[in-house]
Amino acid sequence: MHQDSWEIGGKTLTSRMLIGSALYPSPANMEEAIKESEAQIVTVALRRQSAGDGGGNNFWDIIKELNINVLPNTAGCHSAKEAITTAQMAREVFGTNWIKLEVIGDQYNLQPDPFETVKAAEVLIEEGFEVFPYTTDDLVVAKRLANVGCKILMPWGSPIGSGQGLMNPSNLKAIRKQFPELKLIVDAGIGKPSDAVEAMQLGYDGILLNSAIALAQDPVKMAKAFKYATQAGRLGYEAGTMQEREFASPSTPTIGTPFWHQFK
Amino acid sequence: MIKVSVNGEMKEIEKNLNIKQLIEVLEYKQQGFAIAVNTTFVSIKKYEQTIVNDGDTIDILAPVQGG
Repeated sequence: MHQDSWEIGGKTLTSRMLIGSALYPSPANMEEAIKESEAQIVTVALRRQSAGDGGGNNFWDIIKELNINVLPNTAGCHSAKEAITTAQMAREVFGTNWIKLEVIGDQYNLQPDPFETVKAAEVLIEEGFEVFPYTTDDLVVAKRLANVGCKILMPWGSPIGSGQGLMNPSNLKAIRKQFPELKLIVDAGIGKPSDAVEAMQLGYDGILLNSAIALAQDPVKMAKAFKYATQAGRLGYEAGTMQEREFASPSTPTIGTPFWHQFK
Repeated sequence: MIKVSVNGEMKEIEKNLNIKQLIEVLEYKQQGFAIAVNTTFVSIKKYEQTIVNDGDTIDILAPVQGG
């Protein structure tokens, strides 16, 4: 299958799928699904640890053994200050300057807070982070993030964990058109492999998903489905789709059609 | 003795402990966590020079699953 290489955050990758590590039925299932997806970036998080957990961290051991790039997130943060502190902590724990910047502005739909996200992005970029900002599909917010130095933008398809697919493809298209030089990832809301195809056909550089795989009846098989969907969508984009037409147009030649108008 | 909040739980500890000593007292043995005091990140390099004060809020975070 298609294995082009591309660059993001200073790394050259062949997979265009970023996978989450949460919500799987078991750690073993998570490990198998990530392997099957052939993703080269996995998202992780930080949470409070009790002293009793001091004997080992099974989850983190599994992730380290996968030997792929780790993208820590700032999930659960509601202000720039919280997100900046979380990012600084993540850099020390995970040993990477990559950060998936999430600053939530609304608890109901987990919509990112654009004002706090831009504020945090500016500080983190100054501190040497490679910021992967989770944002809405708002073009002006995208501009603000680009203006403070973001080289990557991750607009949502639809709210996190909703599986609603791409709510507003035309907005996503506008962002792609406006920022040909930035790396664009559709993050959040992807539910079905066909959503991944659609995102990739828009010319997005990749997709980031978690629930669609982890909550599938067979996460390992779904990981494989998304791997192929991502590749198919990218191939479709590179191949260039035909122009849509208002009316039907026969594909089989009309010249030489037998019995042409002989039957009345 | 002073009172501090560690991961949301109130603890009584001796006065004038630094972060390195606090971790030992709390029996955190594992590597691979990061610390914030009063919502400000404290890097490993600064553990010994950071003294814990009465009423401080300490967060000790470790890797977990995330999307």
